[in-house]
Amino acid sequence: MPVKWLMHWQPNQGVTLTTQILTEACQCVESQLGGAKDGRWKTALTYYRPALREASASGDLPRELLGVALHDQLGSYYFLLRAHRLILQADSSMQALMDKLQSYKPRVVLNFEGFQYRLGDFQVRVGKCVPSSEVLRGIMMEVEYLPLSSIEKSRQILEDFFDIWQDTVKKRSLPGHFILVEPNFADYGLQDHYTPQHTAVQYATCMTQLMAAVRN
Amino acid sequence: MQQPHVAVSGATPPQDPPDSSGATTEAPPKQVALAMDRLARAARLIADIRLGADHLLEALFLATNTPHHSNKTIELIRKEEASMRQHFQDLRALGKQLEDSGVLNGSLKSRGNSWGLHMPLVCPDGAVVAYAWKRQLAGQAGASAVDRTRLALKAFTDQKRRFFPHLEDEPFGHSHDGEFGVAKKQRTSQGLVTSHIEELNEVKTLSDILTDLENKVPNMKIFTYQRLDWLKRASLLSSSANENPVDPSKEQSMHNPNKLRSGSVNAVAVDKVAVIELLVPSVFRAVVSLHSAGSINPDAVAFFSPDEGGNYVHSRGLSVHYIFRRVTEHADKALQYFLSVDANTSLSLLLHWIYSYQTLFTKVCSKCGHLLMMDKSLALLLPPVRRPYRQTCTTNFNQSQLTPSAKVQNVDLNSAYHIGCSDEV
Repeated sequence: MPVKWLMHWQPNQGVTLTTQILTEACQCVESQLGGAKDGRWKTALTYYRPALREASASGDLPRELLGVALHDQLGSYYFLLRAHRLILQADSSMQALMDKLQSYKPRVVLNFEGFQYRLGDFQVRVGKCVPSSEVLRGIMMEVEYLPLSSIEKSRQILEDFFDIWQDTVKKRSLPGHFILVEPNFADYGLQDHYTPQHTAVQYATCMTQLMAAVRN
Repeated sequence: MQQPHVAVSGATPPQDPPDSSGATTEAPPKQVALAMDRLARAARLIADIRLGADHLLEALFLATNTPHHSNKTIELIRKEEASMRQHFQDLRALGKQLEDSGVLNGSLKSRGNSWGLHMPLVCPDGAVVAYAWKRQLAGQAGASAVDRTRLALKAFTDQKRRFFPHLEDEPFGHSHDGEFGVAKKQRTSQGLVTSHIEELNEVKTLSDILTDLENKVPNMKIFTYQRLDWLKRASLLSSSANENPVDPSKEQSMHNPNKLRSGSVNAVAVDKVAVIELLVPSVFRAVVSLHSAGSINPDAVAFFSPDEGGNYVHSRGLSVHYIFRRVTEHADKALQYFLSVDANTSLSLLLHWIYSYQTLFTKVCSKCGHLLMMDKSLALLLPPVRRPYRQTCTTNFNQSQLTPSAKVQNVDLNSAYHIGCSDEV
């Protein structure tokens, strides 16, 4: 599966996030890089909390379970336990099961959605992060390099792409910049060959960084 | 029903009378026979034209080599030009007749097998047979694309022998290694670069070349296949690429047990090797096909992503990725160059040159210093996809600094260029 890198927008100190940045980023892709719009995409990330009858029974239940539905893996659902560095792939019908079981309840649902573009051998997705309250929480990008699936071998290419992207965006003088999400795949036991699990881990890591950015 | 505007004639004289507006309808068998005959004549004319072009080229070469005989060559050229013109006119007339009789368009075919007759069948491999069953009787109906191509090539070679008898047979008809008849090339290319200056002049066998290569390329895997076996492997690649993740080291177990590792060659099997696969794991997969099985004559090369699989992954296929398409395009030129310089070393040079692409995703351009760059004309972001293939030629036999390891290539395999940064077209 082609290698993907995630990046998210880091606004400057004290600047609020607006959708204008999203529009500008899309324009960068379209006009400066010559991307062809390819469609829409949507990935959803859900925070689950255990639904406990008595507070004391929490014991060693994990406080937080992350669920990720990836836009390009509609048949699967990925669960992550960040504290334990575990990742699990399940069938997408798992969500319905969770609803019925009511053992873990979804507390926050974050939707990442936007447009996707094709730039030769690259596929770029630019989108916003909105919780169910529809307040803009973040802006992010996925960059996919189609010919390779080895993370090591594609590292330089994607780094170069990131540099080119940074330069392109700088010209628009926007209040902020994109940062790469740097997940530690080895912690989760993932290999060099890229898989959807890697993407799920990147989204989970991205969330942590986004939260930190918003808090500041 | 379409009325052919062709006059009836009993025998088929060399010149058909021009299209008459007589509404004579000929019986279908007659039409078909006429059409077949005209097609054969058209083929002959095309061959004559090719011959004429050859003559013209030779005349031009003669002219450059012996400038003081210019009058004679001018005469030759004029004569040739006149006869070519005549051939073209004849061909045009023939084409018109064929068109009018409905042969060149699909009208005859779309009428179906009218009048209960067998229409002559143009088989997928290009051979024309009198009726469809003939091929089936000959057991060729189920031929695969590879076999059909082989048959087409054989048909072409036969035609070549028929119409170009004065040309020596080039490697087409011969099997495996040995001296190749490059008589034609030598006759007309004396002034061109020759590169057999090095000590190791002898023609190597395929297994020598592959063993040599294996020792020099630590991270490239080399596999050899018979032609049909490669197609099976290519389809296997496709089905495995769809499961994720595929550990590259597991690919070993998917190999056809009949496939031969070049390190453990036995003489019989080398004769059948027609496809060489070069795999640098996670970087690229290159497929080279040899012209006749077991020979050292490469005839096509193509690059693919290591994750690609399917029926299109072969030496004349094209990758779905832009980067590998560009590399394949460049590789075509390199192959032609290596073949033109010295057919004997072309395979060895080609394989070494392919190996230089292991740095495709890491080596920066030797001119601009960047890895990824937007190619303005193609509007694509690409790393340096060009590796130089031209050899520096020397005619000085006494170059003592030519060590055996540097002998075959004076090619600079350490540089890479973006399409826009390289000097060549």
